[in-house]
Amino acid sequence: MNAAAGLPPEQASGGHPTNGIDDTVHQRHRLGILTITAEARRADFSYLREALGLTPGNLSRHLTVLEAAGLVQVEKGYAGRRPRTWVRITGQGRAALAAELAALTELVRRHREAQGSQRPRIADGDVHGRRR
Amino acid sequence: MAEDPREPAGGEAHGEPAAESGPGPADTPAEHAGLAGESGERLGSQPELLGEMKALRRRARVARHAYWFPLVLFGVLTCASVPFYIQPAFRQVPAGSGIFVRASSATGPWLPFLGGSPGLVQSYLAYYWIVALLGGLVLTQLWYWWHARRIGLQTPARGYLLITTVLTVLAVVIPPLSQVRSPHWLRFMHRLQVLWPGDLVIRGTFPFLIIAVGLLALAWAERSRALTVTAVVYTGAALLASLYDVSNITYRLGWNPPPSGQSLPSVLLPALVLLVAGAGAFAVQRLHRTTA
Repeated sequence: MNAAAGLPPEQASGGHPTNGIDDTVHQRHRLGILTITAEARRADFSYLREALGLTPGNLSRHLTVLEAAGLVQVEKGYAGRRPRTWVRITGQGRAALAAELAALTELVRRHREAQGSQRPRIADGDVHGRRR
Repeated sequence: MAEDPREPAGGEAHGEPAAESGPGPADTPAEHAGLAGESGERLGSQPELLGEMKALRRRARVARHAYWFPLVLFGVLTCASVPFYIQPAFRQVPAGSGIFVRASSATGPWLPFLGGSPGLVQSYLAYYWIVALLGGLVLTQLWYWWHARRIGLQTPARGYLLITTVLTVLAVVIPPLSQVRSPHWLRFMHRLQVLWPGDLVIRGTFPFLIIAVGLLALAWAERSRALTVTAVVYTGAALLASLYDVSNITYRLGWNPPPSGQSLPSVLLPALVLLVAGAGAFAVQRLHRTTA
């Protein structure tokens, strides 16, 4: 995990927002897990599986990675006789999610700026773009 | 969200998370840093990724919203309090003296925050609101617990429950504590009088303000603009009911309640706000779930 997680991308990287990107978080489904769990006090395993379109095995592995990084806590319990697993985001997880989203937003902004600067320029004095 | 086809083979396809099995999309800073060619194409997926996260967040929020229940519950509890706001009848004291006072049989602890001024409301109003506020909180907690089990997402409503409970307890304990004069070392308690909310307690409508603060906390927990607007409107209605005789307005609108029921418009206005907002929220939340 990136040690600079939680800092704004510019500060964390000392320049480029990519350095603010966390390898653990920068994965589509793990980012989805953090996004959903940040929206609730805790999220049920079944809800995450359905919302992210994952198999139980895949979701378990992603949760293991996030739990090992201290970004989520997994709580196992029972609803009646049925076992139920709840996932809760940690403070560290919230900070990592915020840093990741900030880095992505900054990247997109820079990318759009770069794309804008690469557009063909109209020659001076020719408002219709015709070559002289 | 569908599985990402761009993830490397040998990763998700074999049940292994991508970041463990190899580089994911645009994993290296070099790929991110370059803004042309292949890396430019990868960067083109970042707005899509951000859009997906936004959609996930929105979907989770819509599924989690369940605030129609506390709105309707406290609207109903407010309506049920109406008999306690019927002003006590006048009686002659002493009999035949020609001096009429409102019958007030206030007994037990002094609870002006929840019970208003003696004579303006029935004496058991404070007891009603203690039971209604705390019972309403228990039912709300049970509702959110049941809703979380049903949909798989739990609303962080603990702050709402805590704030409302603390305010209710303070409303009960501050008046008697601020009157303590002995023993000497407890006389500092009279400084609690600075916490008295003044005219807000006269009409017995202070419980509405406790509900209003609770709703603002719930709006924060639910992250709902609609509930925030509802809570603000309700706060306005509660303040109006506490500081002004709403029957002056209803009189102009053609409803003139009998003298003993002059408090009714002040009680029914905040209740109406809760019931209308609760019914609207129920319809919207049900529609969202049907279309989801």
